[in-house]
Amino acid sequence: MFGIFMECWVSLKLYFGNPLHGILLLLSAIYLAIAEKDLKKRIILGFLPLVVMAGFLFPVTKIVYVAVFDEGSDTYYRLLWLIPSYVVTGYALVKLIVTLENLMKKTFVLWICLAASLILIAAGGSLVYCNRYMSVAENAYHIPQNVIDICDIISPQKGSRVRAAFPSELVHFVRQYDTDIMMPYGREMIATQWDYYNPVYEVMEKPDEIKASDLTAALRESGCDYVILSSDRLIDEDITSYGYEIVGSVDKYNIYQDTTVDKEG
Amino acid sequence: MQFVLSLLSLLLWLYIVPILAGILFNFILPRDKRTVGITFILGFLVSMAVFEIVSIGAMTMVTFSAFTYCRRIYIAVMLLLDVLGVLRCVQLFKRGDNRFQCLFPGEVHASARDFMNPRADTAMFRPDYPVSSLVMWGLFFAVIVFQMVMSVVMASFDGDDAYYVVQSLQAQQVDVMNTINPYLGISTSLDIRHALAVITMWIAFIARVSGIHATIVNHVVMPIFLIPLVYLVYVEIGRILFRKRQALIPMFMLIISFLMMFGNVSIYTPATFFLMRTWQGKAMVANLVFPMIFWIFLWMMENAAALRERLKSPASLFTRREEWCGFVMLALVNMFSGMCSSMGVIFGSGLIALLTLVLLFISRNLRVLAGTFLCIIPNIIYLGVYFSIFSS
Repeated sequence: MFGIFMECWVSLKLYFGNPLHGILLLLSAIYLAIAEKDLKKRIILGFLPLVVMAGFLFPVTKIVYVAVFDEGSDTYYRLLWLIPSYVVTGYALVKLIVTLENLMKKTFVLWICLAASLILIAAGGSLVYCNRYMSVAENAYHIPQNVIDICDIISPQKGSRVRAAFPSELVHFVRQYDTDIMMPYGREMIATQWDYYNPVYEVMEKPDEIKASDLTAALRESGCDYVILSSDRLIDEDITSYGYEIVGSVDKYNIYQDTTVDKEG
Repeated sequence: MQFVLSLLSLLLWLYIVPILAGILFNFILPRDKRTVGITFILGFLVSMAVFEIVSIGAMTMVTFSAFTYCRRIYIAVMLLLDVLGVLRCVQLFKRGDNRFQCLFPGEVHASARDFMNPRADTAMFRPDYPVSSLVMWGLFFAVIVFQMVMSVVMASFDGDDAYYVVQSLQAQQVDVMNTINPYLGISTSLDIRHALAVITMWIAFIARVSGIHATIVNHVVMPIFLIPLVYLVYVEIGRILFRKRQALIPMFMLIISFLMMFGNVSIYTPATFFLMRTWQGKAMVANLVFPMIFWIFLWMMENAAALRERLKSPASLFTRREEWCGFVMLALVNMFSGMCSSMGVIFGSGLIALLTLVLLFISRNLRVLAGTFLCIIPNIIYLGVYFSIFSS
């Protein structure tokens, strides 16, 4: 039981990351549980968040959750979404600011306290736009421009489809742009929580140095018309000697077409 | 020209269609709740409920061109509702001396007569804000606009887009509903774990009627639409929390907007989902569905004292609009939560159960349970469909 409790505790710590917002939420809930005079607000914004947090840390909750949901361990943190955390913190801060203003009987106190609260939130938090998964959009699709350029080169005529093998770093985006491009493997091979087998992925992404003979055999077995390889990827032989030709290059990526495939077919 | 047509189409399907549906049904709301904002939320929930029924029906019963059937039936139903909505507008205008407030009586400001009337509750009227509050509103709107602009200018990476966004795009480009593996492009059976969360199909619908690529609709149009909608729900929460001092609402909203913007303390928080994965169903559950459930319960609890008196007489629970309209709204929110994520149905039900206990404690009448049971019926049907397809 103690081990499960520690797992829950770690989940809680991971959820709040930099703990200041978490501490602010906890203090707000305690403050409202004590100081709020309106019973319904006291229960909903004071006691309820504390009960949900305690329930989250209670080992039996996790045992039941993991038993009910397939990916229970991965999504357990979502129980914390049941706390109206921004409402609790926001309401408590406003209540505190107004109380201070009433004590001091000066209007400017309200502005100073508001500014201090906003600075506290900003300093204790993390600006979403500075996240490492955020970048300046290269186009309206919000996917890398080189993927779009590659897809435009290999995109089939209307009514037909092609299959192309892409390097792992591009597979998330290809079909967000063009669903006429099929792939021998996709995101399911990249996600660490799954452990699938795919013959093309095995020979194209796993080895440090690609064996051209294995790669071309796997690509043909999977019915791929194209393969996109990064120019800095190690490969023992040039695959053009296996019936492939370069039909274009975008940034560091070379686009190879299998010349043995019937283009009309 | 195409750009203008696309914009007009977005305007029609994201704003005009829901508000007209809202006007048609806003008679269920108490008079003071018939504001532009709440009418829009009601219309949005009605249109989502219609879409959920139509799309799940088309997805499970039609084999070929399922999305076309879904789209056409949805357009027909919504246009019918909107024509009726327009007729109701005309009727209200004629009855109400052609004033805007006859459509949205909740927008009325308290008059001198209301202040003199001992039976009028002036806190239920729209307030006249002091200058300091107006300044705070200005700052808050600046933050919202900033967040909307950033949602266009900045791109976020999330692996789940390879599933959800592609499902929308496949519906738009290939006319299928969840029957092609989004990662590979090969045909597959219905992926029941995600299929009932048809928010991806609604986004595909918006993409199709506007002629805009579904990926652009997901990544650009949806944040511009959803960010103000989420804050609208928080404004309504603030309106109840600060009923007696409404001048404080903008301060509350300014703090909320900062908590959202600086809430990226981990990849798990609702704020991170809100501004980085706005278009995904689970982000909508965390940021739209759960706050809506809180708002509706706060609303019902606000009337709890009055409710307690009224419930003393038998058969009063479902005859008084103030009492049952909250449960109707809750039923619509439940339908919307299922549309966003199957997780939303289960978590939403849990949250409703928790808040019902509080409502029960405050209203002290067991008949609240009847209302809660009725509003949870959509969730029971949803889970029934889920498990019937899952086991077949």
